[in-house]
Amino acid sequence: MQPAGRGPVVDVALPDRRVGVQTAVDRARVLQKLKLNDAGFRYLTRGAAIAVLVILSGIIFSLIWGSSLALSKFGFGFLVTEAWNPVTEQFGAISPIYGTIVTSIIAMLIAVPVGLFIAVFLTELCPMWLRRPVGIAIELLAGIPSIIYGIWGLFVFAPFLQQYIQPFLIAVFGPIPGLSTIFAGPPYGIGMLTAGLILAIMVLPFITSISRDVFEAVPPVLKEAAYGLGCTTWEVVRYVVLPYTRVGVIGGMMLGLGRALGETMAVTFVIGNAHRISASILAPGTTISATIANEFTEAVEEIYTSSLIALGLILFVITFIVLAAARLMLARLNRRVGA
Amino acid sequence: MSMAAFTVPSVAHAPSDRNSLDEKISVRDLDFFYGDHRALKSINVPLYRGKVTAFIGPSGCGKSTLLRVLNRMYDLYPNQRATGEVLLDGENILDPAQDLNLLRARIGMVFQKPTPFPMTIYENIAFGLRLYEKLPKSELDDRVKHALERAALWNEVKDKLGANGQSLSGGQQQRLCIARTVAVKPEVILFDEPCSALDPISTAKIEELIDELKEDYTITIVTHNMQQAARVSDFTAFMYLGELVEYGDTTKMFTSPSDRRTQDYITGRFG
Repeated sequence: MQPAGRGPVVDVALPDRRVGVQTAVDRARVLQKLKLNDAGFRYLTRGAAIAVLVILSGIIFSLIWGSSLALSKFGFGFLVTEAWNPVTEQFGAISPIYGTIVTSIIAMLIAVPVGLFIAVFLTELCPMWLRRPVGIAIELLAGIPSIIYGIWGLFVFAPFLQQYIQPFLIAVFGPIPGLSTIFAGPPYGIGMLTAGLILAIMVLPFITSISRDVFEAVPPVLKEAAYGLGCTTWEVVRYVVLPYTRVGVIGGMMLGLGRALGETMAVTFVIGNAHRISASILAPGTTISATIANEFTEAVEEIYTSSLIALGLILFVITFIVLAAARLMLARLNRRVGA
Repeated sequence: MSMAAFTVPSVAHAPSDRNSLDEKISVRDLDFFYGDHRALKSINVPLYRGKVTAFIGPSGCGKSTLLRVLNRMYDLYPNQRATGEVLLDGENILDPAQDLNLLRARIGMVFQKPTPFPMTIYENIAFGLRLYEKLPKSELDDRVKHALERAALWNEVKDKLGANGQSLSGGQQQRLCIARTVAVKPEVILFDEPCSALDPISTAKIEELIDELKEDYTITIVTHNMQQAARVSDFTAFMYLGELVEYGDTTKMFTSPSDRRTQDYITGRFG
């Protein structure tokens, strides 16, 4: 009896020679087809990989090409000049560079510890019933479009900071030498601190969810071994979980930092867009991406456009340096643990 | 009471000189639950000071669970609970007020799979020491060396203490874990199938080690390997379906077990 839905079974091992020849031919044809498929698959994957290289080098090339006018006119001075005057056609990149770096540092200073704390809480300490709600909230935070962070930042968060937080900061740090310049008034509401805080909220979900995922991948028996020595939860996290997951955690931090460096819309709303460097983080400033987004439509002169593209090139280089630094840091960490 | 009485008659078969034995740990009427599932049923068993007690039995019989009760490892997980008493030097460690870090410092554990921490060989040992004592560098070096010697690993790693613990072979990793456990000077060491992932030579080394360690420590070992239980232990407990079927002197257990199920298991008829 044949099982339902099956054709008759053909015995390929029949002693009949004619059938044997027939199968050999069939098999050769099938093999030929498989070979062709495999080659096609190989070229497809290779093509996809090469496409990345082509696109990347295309972007680099057009950035350099587009910025060559500004770079040749201003030279190295472009990197260290504060003036940004479209009327006299004097352009210098130092204040957007400064703003980009300072806002990102503020964002990372807040988001890294908070994100790691949340991840540790979720994986090690959180009662089961609270795990899902908090986890979903974190992912929702990542899903909010940046324009919403922008309008919320401008209409809700900045006035709140202006009314309550910034006067408090000025009053507390005012009398302390050193810190008084960093927190010098007046409270504008918008400014570098506000931009940094918004960025911190925006990169928090990246750092949190990646850290949580890698923390969860730590073998339970490794943690048990550490608890078995009498470690506290803090010691287990500090000496076992974090070293074990360092590659993933640093990867998450870099992803967050990459977003903070390049984030445009929300920052443009709350940073104040002032081309100047102030020691106070309460003062308005600008970032590279905010400058480009704000001024591209006004840039009619060739040198203006070229200067903006040069800013883009600088942002690209900064991101590259950050990635390289992360690699270096990982290599050094690995050497320290003897791996 | 009747249940408990039923599961321990074999204690009577323990050697007659047991008056000279000192109960380091006494398990009394211990029940353990994973949620609603009762994994241990009225376990009563003594663990004698300076002796090796082996727990044997088919997979899922509760022997590893029993081990995890002894250092309260189950506390890390929700929905797991134990009732009854486990007395360590007369003090009930199931008491909620028990300091778990202190308890786990007194009762060390070596796991089935080697679990070196993600740090250097030296740090793997020094880590545990630093948790409890603030030692000057020279003394720390001595203690690390001593622990590695104790675990018969020193000669193999003395030239590469800065290498990562995870770069060692499986057998070396397991001895590193034993060294790490010994370094913090526990009173009891729990071995949870310490050799199941190891080759015969590494296994022999670790068995030798257990034999040496028992002079100073109270040792409990869970094993699937009957020959291993016979070789390393002084007392053996046979567990089946969450019950302690038989407990007694190892020689007697392996030559003339009194329970039919023990005999069947030891002779390989099931399990």
